[in-house]
Amino acid sequence: MKNIIEIEMLDKSFGNVHAVDNLSFCVKEGELFAFLGVNGAGKSTTINIMCSQLSKDKGRVVIDGCDLDKEADAIKEKLGVVFQSSVLDAPLSVYENLESRAALYGIVGADFRARLEELCDLLDLKELLKRTVGKLSGGQRRRIDIARALLHKPKILVLDEPTTGLDPQTRKTIWNVISTLRRNENMTVFLTTHYMEEAAEADYVVIIDSGKTAACGTPLELKNKYTGDFITIYGADEDDVKNLGYEYEKIRDAYRISVPSTKVATELITARPEMFVDYEITKGKMDDVFLSVTGKSLVGGSEK
Amino acid sequence: MKTTLTLIKRNIRLFFKDKGMFFTSLITPVILLVLYATFLGNVYEDSFVSSLPKGIEVGRDVIDGLVGGQLVSSILAVSCVTVAFCSNFLMVQDKANGTVKDLRISPVKSHILSVSYYVATLVSTLIICYSALAICFLYLGITGWYLSTADVALLVLDVLLLTLFGTALSSVVSFFLSTQGQISAVGSIVSAGYGFICGAYMPISSFGEGLQAVVSFLPGTYATSLFRTHATRGAFEQMVADGIPRAAAEGMKDMIDCNIYFFDSSVSEWAMYLILGVSVAVLLVAYILMNKFKRGTK
Repeated sequence: MKNIIEIEMLDKSFGNVHAVDNLSFCVKEGELFAFLGVNGAGKSTTINIMCSQLSKDKGRVVIDGCDLDKEADAIKEKLGVVFQSSVLDAPLSVYENLESRAALYGIVGADFRARLEELCDLLDLKELLKRTVGKLSGGQRRRIDIARALLHKPKILVLDEPTTGLDPQTRKTIWNVISTLRRNENMTVFLTTHYMEEAAEADYVVIIDSGKTAACGTPLELKNKYTGDFITIYGADEDDVKNLGYEYEKIRDAYRISVPSTKVATELITARPEMFVDYEITKGKMDDVFLSVTGKSLVGGSEK
Repeated sequence: MKTTLTLIKRNIRLFFKDKGMFFTSLITPVILLVLYATFLGNVYEDSFVSSLPKGIEVGRDVIDGLVGGQLVSSILAVSCVTVAFCSNFLMVQDKANGTVKDLRISPVKSHILSVSYYVATLVSTLIICYSALAICFLYLGITGWYLSTADVALLVLDVLLLTLFGTALSSVVSFFLSTQGQISAVGSIVSAGYGFICGAYMPISSFGEGLQAVVSFLPGTYATSLFRTHATRGAFEQMVADGIPRAAAEGMKDMIDCNIYFFDSSVSEWAMYLILGVSVAVLLVAYILMNKFKRGTK
């Protein structure tokens, strides 16, 4: 797979604040890329630079072969952006909003109507077209935001915390749509989120802290590197668990033992087969990775 | 072109969907007319009557026509600019609520966005100001109609020209605004101040010499004078026909700024049109250049 986004040594400061500090990463075509960091880590600044909303101080940004310094307009054609909060015109209808935004890309008349038909099928919008955007629910408005981002058939969909504040059912609907787009159109998805279970589904993850890359890799690589495994053992005696010499916690009907790696877990189990009769091994979660890497945790949109 | 037209349509729709903004803009000229007629009508009338040469009587209808013309010209001179500012606040609102970010992530050229705001503001302002003009004609029809067809046509042209000026001026000013607070502040300053500096609330002839010299450099002064000339010319002609000496009529015209002077030189109607036209062109060029050379990112 070729790189569709290449960012090299990106730098951006606001006065004394170094928002993005020598940041480099690549995104492969068609992958779901998760860009994680606490508020103020530099995620939105990076996205704004990619979308030509902010100038960079230093560095190089190449998107689908186009250099941001030379072909900013060509890059804009390739990006569809769903902002953190909806920026559509609340007093206008869904149709009027999409019509005006499509015109920004030169999509008017019959071309617009044809594209709208496609998006209505994809996002189930038909019944919303005449409704005023300001009167839609959060989930409905998010679907319209996604439709707006997809109007010009971008190659890359940038989702800036797309599911924050949405109910689980709507989040699921939105992720189904994103999965369909990736499957059918090989669309690259650049995601920032505070929900670690969403990040766990990504093909590649970059965690930034204070504008710098703090960690990167696939979710599995990150879990292996930054968290250990957990053995949950049922029906064991607490003294036996204590004698294993690893940190553990008592849960309702079992003990949860923290071990540094899967290899250690395997050695432990093979050494004491009589003790490990009923057990399961699980990897650490992305929350643990994030906490380990940044020393901070992200829970449902807030830093702790 | 279709992109520009669609964006213009979007901006006009937004203006008229904002009931508060639309009705405030529409009702302002009506409120001004009622306030003027209630509080200033008698003052204007007394002023005219006291300035008439002794021993000469003028019909009540003519006086009413003259007072009406002065009221109407003041309202139109103020409304074309204040309504333009009100309409153009959409541009600032788009910045304040982040919508402009959504527009600018697209490859649409900056000048297309600027033109769409300008044209939409112009159209919205014209709709409101021509509605105000119709109400003013109705008022003159009731109080005393002395307008010739030519004057009616010229008043229609004056509204167009001053709206072009007001829209260009508000576009340049709004370019620097980006928050709701700034919108409110500028709106208040323009509503309160413009009527004074353009000579709508008080005739420029009543200002001190220094102030007269300053306002003679402002294009709005000449727009007010055009409105006043065209709204009162018929009534003045009727007065002359009724026996008022032409010199006395000219003195009254001086008093209410139908005749206006750049230092000691009288400014002709054509010169006033030229000043307004050039001002519109200069402001438009400035607006376009500001958009072209502004730092879109920082």
